[in-house]
Amino acid sequence: MRFAHAMRGIRKQTNGWLFVGLTGAAVVLLPVFSIFISLFHPPNENWQHIKQYLLKDYVLQTIWLVLFTGIFTVLIGVALAWLIAAYDFPMKRFFRWALVLPLAVPPYIAAYTYGTMLSYTGVVQKTLRWFEVPVNPRFFDVMSLRGAIFIFTLVLFPYVYMITRAFLERQSGSYIENAVLLGRSPASIFVRIVLPISRPAIAGGLTLVLFEVVSDYGLTSYYGIRTISTAIFQTWFGMYDVDSAVRLAAWLMAGIVGLFILERALRSHRKFSASTSKSRPLVPKKLRGIRASAALLFCGAVFAFSFLIPFVQLLVWAFWSYEDVLTSGFLDLTYNTLSVALISTAIILFFSVAAANVCRLQANGFAYVLSKLVTAGYSIPGAIIAVGVLALFIRLDQQLAPLYARMGLGESPLVLSMSLVMLVTAYVARFMAVGYNAVEAGFEKIGTQYTEASRLLGHGITRTFFKVDLPMIRGALFSGAILTFVEMVKELPLALLLRPFNFETLATKTYQYASDERIYEAAVPSLFIIGVSFISVVVFHQLGKKLER
Amino acid sequence: MSIVEIRNLSFAYSSQKPIIDQFSLSIEKGEIVGILGPSGSGKSTLLRLIAGLETPSGGTVAISGKTVVDSRTFVPPERRGVGMVFQDYALFPHMTAAQNVAFGLHRLDKSSRWKRLREMFELVQLTGYEKRYPHELSGGQQQRVALARALAPKPSVLLMDEPFSNLDAGLRAAIRNELRDILRKAQMTCLLVTHDHQDVEAICDRTVMIS
Repeated sequence: MRFAHAMRGIRKQTNGWLFVGLTGAAVVLLPVFSIFISLFHPPNENWQHIKQYLLKDYVLQTIWLVLFTGIFTVLIGVALAWLIAAYDFPMKRFFRWALVLPLAVPPYIAAYTYGTMLSYTGVVQKTLRWFEVPVNPRFFDVMSLRGAIFIFTLVLFPYVYMITRAFLERQSGSYIENAVLLGRSPASIFVRIVLPISRPAIAGGLTLVLFEVVSDYGLTSYYGIRTISTAIFQTWFGMYDVDSAVRLAAWLMAGIVGLFILERALRSHRKFSASTSKSRPLVPKKLRGIRASAALLFCGAVFAFSFLIPFVQLLVWAFWSYEDVLTSGFLDLTYNTLSVALISTAIILFFSVAAANVCRLQANGFAYVLSKLVTAGYSIPGAIIAVGVLALFIRLDQQLAPLYARMGLGESPLVLSMSLVMLVTAYVARFMAVGYNAVEAGFEKIGTQYTEASRLLGHGITRTFFKVDLPMIRGALFSGAILTFVEMVKELPLALLLRPFNFETLATKTYQYASDERIYEAAVPSLFIIGVSFISVVVFHQLGKKLER
Repeated sequence: MSIVEIRNLSFAYSSQKPIIDQFSLSIEKGEIVGILGPSGSGKSTLLRLIAGLETPSGGTVAISGKTVVDSRTFVPPERRGVGMVFQDYALFPHMTAAQNVAFGLHRLDKSSRWKRLREMFELVQLTGYEKRYPHELSGGQQQRVALARALAPKPSVLLMDEPFSNLDAGLRAAIRNELRDILRKAQMTCLLVTHDHQDVEAICDRTVMIS
C-alpha cells in the first residue's frame, strides 16, 4: 500500500521540468562535490607547509576582516536606515536611493581608486603638501587590513542599509509610535525598540556583506591581504597546486557553514511575528536647525566617500587616458564580457524557471531541498567554485581522453578545460541563485491559482507555462535577467582564473591595468562596469517600489 | 449511473489530524449537490481532491465511471474532465473575457470554437463584453465569465468553491437564481461548497453537511 502510494507520487511528479530542474541543481553542486572527492587524495608536501606555517594566518586575517567589516557596515547601515526611515531633512529623498549607489562600485575598483588617491603621489597627499600641512604617510596607508575594512565598509554597507530601511519604513510604525507615547527618548527607542525588531533584516543584510567579503579576491589581493580566498588562488596560480587549493577551499567551506549556523542562530530565537497583522508605515518626523544639518552632513559624507569621490576621481583619470584605452581592443573586451554574460544569463534563466516551476508545483519537502540546492551557489565563495569547476573539468578531460584521441586531437589534450565552457559553468553555478530568486518571486506573486485554472481547462503543465505563467512572470524574468547579467559583468575572480588563454573581460582587464600600476587606464573599463552596475541598482530600486505598492 | 463516486476519501497534511476522514458521496447526472460546513472543515480541500489539485492519503474517486484516483492511479487535473469556478475566479488577467472562455476550447476547430464561445456568452448573458479584460468587468460579470469558462469545454461535473463569497449581499439573491437557471439550462452536474445555508437552499437539490 505504502509502496503503491510512493510509486503513484513519483509517477505524478516525474516530467521534463523535473529533469531540467535537477540538472540545474547538479550544475551548482558538482563543483562542490568534486572538492569533496579531491579531499580523499593524500595531502602533498605543500599542504604540510601551508598547514604548519600559513593556515593560521589566513584564517585570522579572514576573521578580522569579516568581523570588523561586519561591525562597521551594521553601524553605518542601520544608522542611515533609521535616519532615512524616521526623519525628514533636506535632500532626504535624494539620499534615500543615492545611498544604494555604492553597490555599483565593485570592491576591487574602489580599492585601487582609493589606494592611488591616498598614495604619496595621489591627489590627497599632494594637496595637503601643497598647503604645507605636515602629513604622516602612515596615516594614509590604505593598503592594509585597516584599509581593506574601510573600503569594504564603504561599498558594502548599502546591503544592510537597504534591507533595514525597507523593513523600518514598512513594518515599524505602530511599535515606535507606541514607544513615543510611552514617553521614551529617541535614543532609547533606537536601542530598545528599533534594533531588536529589525534584527532579522539586519542579519539578512549582514549575511550578504559577509559573503561578499569572504568571496572577495580583487581587493584583498591588491592590498596584499592574505585571506583564505586569496590563498586559494595563490596556491593555484603561484604554485600550480590544485590539490592544496582544494584543501583550503574545504576549510573555507567549513567557515561558510559556520556563518550559516550563526545566521540561523541570530534569526531563529527571536523569530517573533507581529502581534498585529496590520503593519503601519512609519511617519517620518521633521528635523530642524542643527539636527537637520547634522543629518544632512552625515548622509552627505557617507555618500561622498562611498560613491562621489571615487567616481569623480575615475572620471578625471578616464579623461586623461581614454584615447589610449578606447581602441578596437576595448571593443573586443566589451564584446567578450557581454557575450559571456549573456550566454550565462540565458542558461541560468532556463534552469531557474524550470527549477522554480517544479518547486512551486510540488510544494513539498523535496521541492524545498531542490530550491535550497539551486540557490546554494551564491553562498559558496567564488574561489571554491573556481577550484571545484577546474577540478571537475580536468577530471572530465581525463575521462574523455580516449574520445579525443579517436577524434584525432592527440593524446590527453585539455579540450573542455581550455574552453569557455568552464567559465560559463562556473558563472551558472555561482549566480543561479540571483536568477532563481527573481523567478521565484515572480511565481510567488501570481500564486498557483491561474495554473490550476488552466490545468482544469485541459492544458498540461508545459502548455500552461507558456500560455499562462510565462506572460504573467515576464517582468520578474526581465529583472532577474538584468540582475544576473550585471553580476557577471562585474565578476572578477572566476573570470580571472577560468577564462581561456588570451580571453579578457572588462573586469580582468581592469584588474590587470591596476596590478600593472596603470591606474589611469583602468579607469575607463571601471566606469563602464560601474555604469552597467548602475542599471542593476536602478532596476532593483524600481522593483522594490513595485513590491511596496 | 453516478457521475461522481467518492469512496472513503481521506486527506491529511503530513503527520496531522486528517482534514477529511473516510468521506463518501455519489452524485447523479444533472444533480446539483451543496456541501455545507463551517470554514476549515475541509470543503475546499474536497473539491481540490476531486479536481486532482491535491492527492488523497486514502480512498478512491471515480468520474463518469473512470477511476481518477486510488492508491495506484493518479489522473492529472487536465485529463479529468472536471470544471471548476474558483473562489476568486482566477480569470487570466492578460486575456480578454473571450480569450478566457476560449482557453479550454483548444481541442475544437476554429468554427466550432466560435460557435461554442457565442453560446457561452449568450448563456451567461454577457454578449457584448467579449473584448473586455477581467479588470474592466464588475464582480458579478467576472463571476459569470468564470462560469462560462468552466462550462465551455462541457465538463462532466462542475465544482464551485464558495461562488458568492466575493459578491455583496444585495447582489447575491439575484445571482443565486441566475446561477440556478444557467446550471439547469446547461443540464450540468454540479458540486458546490459554501458556508451559507441560503446558498444551498436556493440552488441545490440535495445538501451534505460536513463538519
